[in-house]
Amino acid sequence: MQQQTRKSYLSRMVRVLNYIQDNLDKELTLHELAAEACFSSYHFHRIFSGMLGESVKELVRRLRLERAATQLQTTSKSILEISLDAGYESDMAFSRMFKVKTGLSPSVFRRSLQLRYPCLTQSTIRYVTNERITSFEPFKEKELNMNVIIKEVEDILVGFVRHVGPYQECGQAWDTLCCALAPEGLLGGTAKMIGVSHDDPDVIAPQKLRYDACITVPENFSGIDDVAVKTIAGGLYAMTTHLGSYENLGTTYRQIFGQWLSQSDYESADKPCFEIYLNDPESTAPEDLVTDIYIPLAKD
Amino acid sequence: MTKIDLFKTHKADYVAAKTPVVIEVAQATYISITGIGAPGEHAFTNAIEALYAMAYTVKMTRKKNNQGDYVICKLEARYWSDNGECLSKVDKSQWHWQLMIRTPASVAIADLEQASAALISKGKSAKVKDVELIEHQFGSCIQMLHIGAYDDEPRTIKQMLTFAEQENLSVGNEHCEIYISDPRRVPAERLKTILRTPLLC
Repeated sequence: MQQQTRKSYLSRMVRVLNYIQDNLDKELTLHELAAEACFSSYHFHRIFSGMLGESVKELVRRLRLERAATQLQTTSKSILEISLDAGYESDMAFSRMFKVKTGLSPSVFRRSLQLRYPCLTQSTIRYVTNERITSFEPFKEKELNMNVIIKEVEDILVGFVRHVGPYQECGQAWDTLCCALAPEGLLGGTAKMIGVSHDDPDVIAPQKLRYDACITVPENFSGIDDVAVKTIAGGLYAMTTHLGSYENLGTTYRQIFGQWLSQSDYESADKPCFEIYLNDPESTAPEDLVTDIYIPLAKD
Repeated sequence: MTKIDLFKTHKADYVAAKTPVVIEVAQATYISITGIGAPGEHAFTNAIEALYAMAYTVKMTRKKNNQGDYVICKLEARYWSDNGECLSKVDKSQWHWQLMIRTPASVAIADLEQASAALISKGKSAKVKDVELIEHQFGSCIQMLHIGAYDDEPRTIKQMLTFAEQENLSVGNEHCEIYISDPRRVPAERLKTILRTPLLC
């Protein structure tokens, strides 16, 4: 069964990759790509970058450059034309990037037919003209050594403060939240500290990332000061524990989406993930921090 | 405003040496709760929960009122027996304990009263009322880092006692611990605990 699901994630992702190669000149939306392989668009990008080791944007940009390199050596198109095809506004900008990647200017590269465009990523996906991808080896950052528990979670009532901006700067929201709840007697005991990240930092610009700092509250709580109330939807979740600095949470997300989920029998649901922080980052060394990550799953 | 971190400011008090050292801990302010019984028992863990609920409620309420911000320090504990006997000879159910969190001296009794009233009004355990503001002076102590399970502490304590003998120091029967690791999260063999034995003057 597992083998089958893995195949299905793989074969669906193969469709996405071929679609990207076929439409390299189009501005592809994540929604469109997700639809191509029957992924829900909500967590599609996390699955994509988890399985491929690079974001859609990075892959497209790289494939376009690889195509440009091929065109330089196999066609008589002008460098300007090739630059525009590769998505650059000018041949200057293209040449600069090309030189960064290969160490050579496009015109030198063009004259040296024996040169190959270098493999600059671990990804197995390359620009090809006369082949189609039928399968690929999913990206592995490190061996998957992940304990995942499937949980049925009840609705969680929380008081929350929204932060918009880079995730690392959410401290202000936590201060506002804790300062408002403390005098009310709502800190301590069984109150849980929960973070809800609404956006994938690989896709959304840092200034636009939405994050909710949340603390569980009793049923009769109706908000105070800048703290609003909401319910984190219960349901089926995959839970794994991230040990160490919050800075590396992204790696664990990539692993659970890219490796664990794509090899499991589950599909992600269209709800945000959430994190439960089990210790105080102020008085705990980063390497000792413990965070439970919850990934929403769809029910059959 | 800069954030006070007493654990860092008083680094010398929390030196985690691999071999025994003698240190001097001056009088300081703590919030604390006391009880009798084996560590890890229900009453003990409830007391820890009450102490932390108070610690965070006081801290964040003061922060809100612009009374300064500080980091919540590590949990410390003192253990002793009623009759002055060595703890290793006393049944754990008879151990007296005092759990403490070092706190800036600017924290006032009124802060604690306000915090416990707020917590109780929200249905939190009445145990928060038992949390007190105290001054305590550990004075001269032998101190050493213990890595491993709590049950494994005698091995480190033995080292400390041997050191006391060599140095001609007389130790009391009080045993103190500073919990660097969170026992709920860290596997027993990797737990870090500072052990402290006050010297008799």
